[in-house]
Formats: sequence, C-alpha cells, structure tokens
Amino acid sequence: MALSAGTNDHWDWEVGSRSTWGSWSFQELWAYRHLLFRFIRRDFLLNYQQTILGPLWIVLQPVLTLVVYVLVFGKWIGVSTGTVPPVLFFLCGILLWGLCNDLFTGTAFIFTWYNYLYSKVYFPRLIIPFSITGTHLARFLIQLVLLLVVFVYYWFWRSQPVVLNVWLLFVPIAVLLVAAFSLSLGLLFSILTARYRDLSNIVHLGIRLFMFVTPVIYPLALVPQGIRWLVTINPLTALFEVFRYALLGQGSFTAGQLAYSSLSIILMLVLSLVWFNKQSARLIDVV
Amino acid sequence: MSNVVIDASGVSKVYRLGVTGTGSFRQDVKRWWNTKLLKQENPFFQAEQAKASEIWALQDVSFQIKRGEVWGIVGDNGAGKSTLLKIISRIIQPTAGRVRGKGTVGSLLEVGTGFHPELTGRENIFISGHLLGMNKAQIREKFEEIVSFSGIEQFIDTPVKRYSSGMYVRLAFSVAAHLEPDILIMDEVLAVGDIAFQKKCLDKMQQLANDSHRTILFVSHNMQAVHHLCQQAMWLQRGKLVSIGPATEVVNSYVGSLQQNKLRHRWLDANTAPGNEYVRILSFELIPGMPAPEGVIDVRTPLTVRFCIQNNEAGVLLNAGLHLYNYAGECVFDVASPAVVCEEGMVKGECHIPGHFLNDGAYYFSLIVVRDTSIPVYYYEGGIHFEVADYRENTAWFGKWKGAVRPQFPFSFGPDHSPSTGSG
Repeated sequence: MALSAGTNDHWDWEVGSRSTWGSWSFQELWAYRHLLFRFIRRDFLLNYQQTILGPLWIVLQPVLTLVVYVLVFGKWIGVSTGTVPPVLFFLCGILLWGLCNDLFTGTAFIFTWYNYLYSKVYFPRLIIPFSITGTHLARFLIQLVLLLVVFVYYWFWRSQPVVLNVWLLFVPIAVLLVAAFSLSLGLLFSILTARYRDLSNIVHLGIRLFMFVTPVIYPLALVPQGIRWLVTINPLTALFEVFRYALLGQGSFTAGQLAYSSLSIILMLVLSLVWFNKQSARLIDVV
Repeated sequence: MSNVVIDASGVSKVYRLGVTGTGSFRQDVKRWWNTKLLKQENPFFQAEQAKASEIWALQDVSFQIKRGEVWGIVGDNGAGKSTLLKIISRIIQPTAGRVRGKGTVGSLLEVGTGFHPELTGRENIFISGHLLGMNKAQIREKFEEIVSFSGIEQFIDTPVKRYSSGMYVRLAFSVAAHLEPDILIMDEVLAVGDIAFQKKCLDKMQQLANDSHRTILFVSHNMQAVHHLCQQAMWLQRGKLVSIGPATEVVNSYVGSLQQNKLRHRWLDANTAPGNEYVRILSFELIPGMPAPEGVIDVRTPLTVRFCIQNNEAGVLLNAGLHLYNYAGECVFDVASPAVVCEEGMVKGECHIPGHFLNDGAYYFSLIVVRDTSIPVYYYEGGIHFEVADYRENTAWFGKWKGAVRPQFPFSFGPDHSPSTGSG
C-alpha cells in the first residue's frame, strides 16, 4: 500500500465491501449542515401546514396533557407533590418527558420512514436523526417559554417563592443529556426495527411503560425504598430530579447518581452512533 | 496527476434470496436456536436453505472513468445497471471489490427524489438541491434559472401536491439538471414530460455533456440517445461486463446481440416441432435485408419472413397468416397468404416487409395456419422476437418518434408558387 501511495493520487471517497467502525467523516457531516437545517425547517413547516392553530399546538399539547395529569394524578389519585403546586410539578415532568418520548419515537423508525430518501440518494445517514433531534430540541425551547409564563403567574399572583440555585446552570446539560439518551435509544431501535418489523408493535408500548420507571408524574422521594433501585438504575431519573430541583427547589439526587447518568448516557450515545454508522450502509438492502 | 475520477475494481454484489431480510425476529431466533444450539437441521429450514439462492447482481466489474467523459451504460433489464449506479452513488455497498472516486457525486436515480408533496416548489428546490450536495449559495445562484427552465414561475409558492404531474416532473428535472456535481449520474431520466420538454431535457443534457469538466454516467434504453450523447459506453449482461469502449462500437454490438439467435428457428425433429396432428412448423425465420449479417435492424431495413410447415392431411385447403405485434400487445398488421390446396408434405411461405415501414421498437411475429380460409388449424404465437432500432438523419429531434408505423410516403413541402386564390 505504501508503495502505491507514492504513484497514486488522492481519492476523495471510497466504497468498499466493509464499513469500518471508524469510518467517520466529520467534514462530510459539516458539508451537509445546510440539509440538516433544511430538514428541521421542513419538519416545522409540515407539522402545522393547513392547521388552524398552527405552531400554537407546540404549547397546546403539553397544556392539554397537563390538565389531564393535574386532574387524574393530582386530584383523584392524590400524588403528593410536596410544597410545589401540582401544576408546576407536572408541567416540568411533562415537558422533559415530551422531549424524551417524541425524540425516541421520531428516530426509532427512520429506516422505514426515510427509506424513500435513503435508497435513492446518498447523504450522511446521520443527518436525518440529527435533524429530528434539532426539531425536538427547538420545540422544547419554545415550550420552556410556556413554563416561564406559568412560573411568572405563580410568582406574582400566587406568591410562590422562587428559589434560584446554582443547579440552574446544569439545566441545559441535563436537557442535552436527556436528548442524547433518547437519540441513542432511537438509533438502536431504528436498526432493530429495520431488521425486525415485529418490534415496531412493542416500541410504543415500551416507551409508555418506561415512563413509569422515570419520575415524571411522581417525585423520586415517593418511591418505596424496596423498589427504588428499579427507578434509580434508569439514567433519566437523576436528570429529571435535578431538572425539577433547579427550577422548583425540590428533588432528590446525589452527585454519584448524576455522574452515573452522565457517563452511561455518553457511553450509550457513542456506541449507538458508531453502530448506526456501521450498519446504515448495509441496512438499505434489508429495508 | 492522472485524471481518472472513478476507479472501480472487482466490484461484485450478491443478493441472497430467502435467507436474510425475512424481517421477522421470531424466525431469526428460531433459526439460530435450531442451527446453533440444537445442532439439528429442521427439515423446514433445510428446505428454506435449499431455496435460498444467490443472485449476482454484479460480478467482478472493473473500469476507470476519466474526467470529462460521458459514459453510457447499456444492458437488458436486470443486467445490474442500476445496482452499479447505486454503488457508485454510495447508496449501497458492494459485496466485494471497491470503487474509489474524486470529486462530488450527484445522482439522479429517480426524478423528484426528496420532494415532499406538502411543501412549496421553492422549499422543495432547496431540499432537493441540498440532498444533491449543493450549498445554499449555489442554489440561490441557480434558483432563477431552475424556475424559468421548468416554466412554473407562477406556482413556485404553491405546495407541489397541487401541481399537475407534468409540472412536478419538470420542476424535478430542472433542479437535477442545474446542480453542478463533478460527477453526474443519471438513470432513465429522459422519459419525462411532454415532447417539448423532452427536447429541452436532451438539449440540456447535451450542454452538460459538452462541458469538459463534467463527468456523466448515463443509463438509458434509448440507444439513439446513448449513441448521440456518450463517447464511451459499457455493456452489462447478468452482472458481467461484456464490452467496454467507444459508445458506437458497444451500442452496435449490444443491439446486434439482441437479434442474434432470435431470428431463426428450425426444428429438425418433426415430432417435437410446434404444431399438432395436422400441421407442424419446421422453420420460422426472419431475414433482414442488409449486407452484413451481424448488422442492426433499423427503420430502413427491409425484412423477409420465411417459414416451412409440414402438412399431414391430404387435399386440404390451407392458407397462412402473419401477425405482427408490438410490445404493447397491439397488432400492427395481419397479412394473409393466398389459400391453396395442399397435399401431404412440406409447404413453404415467404412474406416481404419493405424498409421504411416499421417504427422503432420491439416486435414479434406470430404465425397462423388456417383451413378452408376460416378454421384455425394451429396458431404459433410469438415465434420471432426482434427489435427495430431507430435511425434518423436531418433532424435534431431525438425523442420517441410517434406512430405505430413510420412509413415514408411521398411528401412535398415548400413555398407555394401556384397562382394565389386568396384575398388578392
């Protein structure tokens, strides 16, 4: 090889029979960034085309969910939310879980949904899951404005004390980690659902059940000691707790749990990205 | 520095039928359980294994393409042309071998890839452009040109789902034709739009082909277009490279091969020859009237059909009919021979079809034997398959020539010198 390198010149790309684990081209991803933003833009345009309320749905959806949760879990079942008003407590959970749920279900079927593109034209395959991530993060940011409005209402009219603490700085990182968790799970399942169509039936059910081992509608403090390990083994738990602690001043987590969450999620993300990159070229023949 | 921009060496692609891609988790687990853990061969799986066959879509294909060349890829359906283009476009991976390349590749395997029906023409132009590897500035620069080429200025801000199919295809082709990758890959894109737009497309293709920096790979079944646009060509058959070289030679040998062995049929054993107890067809041949036997039948070629049948009944009034069908299944003509009283033995027939009569396309002859000018005795369907290639001179039009037939009737055309009978 070394001999031919001298006589032969440089090739921009190569298609071989094997994709190596390290066949990464950040340059290529960067070159296609326009496509990424265009896909995000497209998702927003498409979602609210020909609807009366348009983008208002981004905040209406969590509001409607909130009403149901406050009534069912807050009033009837009586989940204790401590000193925090149920509306604020549930809204925090709903928004963060919404990001998690939408991002996962949005990426878990990309090989089936985007086969019409994947099998017709080449572009870095990761552009699609990245654009879906971008779309849902942007939606989440818009929904945070809703949270802020509700906060201001409680602050001024209900004189709910606002406890600003240093963990507020950790919120963006927590949100990104939650997104990274959903993305990596989505990437793994996108490969599995492409190979095994049967799984698509389980995926929706699975994510719904997963919500119950995540402190979305209950605080971790409410979980009986005996089964608490089931909830704390979930990397999302510490992130949900720290999110609510930073915003509402209530939540239970330790530095160890946070470190565990962060490290396991980063590991998951790296593994899923590498696996996706390796499998994607091969899966086009299967789907 | 060599100016080879695509270097393919030993490219092969195997598709396995039956084993993988069944898409059921249960089946995969079951197969794994049976073969790996129990070490037993379930008869069901054995049967499945035997059924599983490998299809070599491409087999050891190697070639080099230099910068600025325009290549045509020809071959029958299923010869592996599209698979090869998909590998070069990096959509799928070869099973063996590799393709290396320089510069950006824009592939246009299907017109309108990436178009979303709900989005406006404007949005779709940008998405398609980005998909084909252009950046925002490049698309902006070409935007006006794309829109005016497609001729849909008024509708550019309307969702494309409201477009007519013609408008849709015109916009899609315009985007693709204006993108500027170093290597452009096109698969059967000429069959779009109305005739005026087809002409526009071909002109645009010609313009792209003349650009000395642009390398083009072009798959088409339109031999005339390949011949006209491409300098180089390769011919694939069942995944193998049959011939590679100057387009004229490759196209001629490809078209020639389509005809060989299909034009002459002789049966030596009367018992197995097609027919029944009354008649047997012993030979059925098409002889093109051209000097070289390996030449190509085109629209100018006169044709002779010759057949020989064995009659097993004495003193019967027989006649024969020749039916010419095109591949759309329409009967182009039905000519009947005169009826004669035949004794037992051989009966011969011959029919001439003049040149400058059939349009280009694929045809087949069927032979019918009739008794007493009304009762069919035997119908031999689809006996001779052949293709008529296009040939034209003094025209710049390379789209499909219309009509079931293409006769040359006397046709005068020119300034009118007769005394005017008009308003004078």
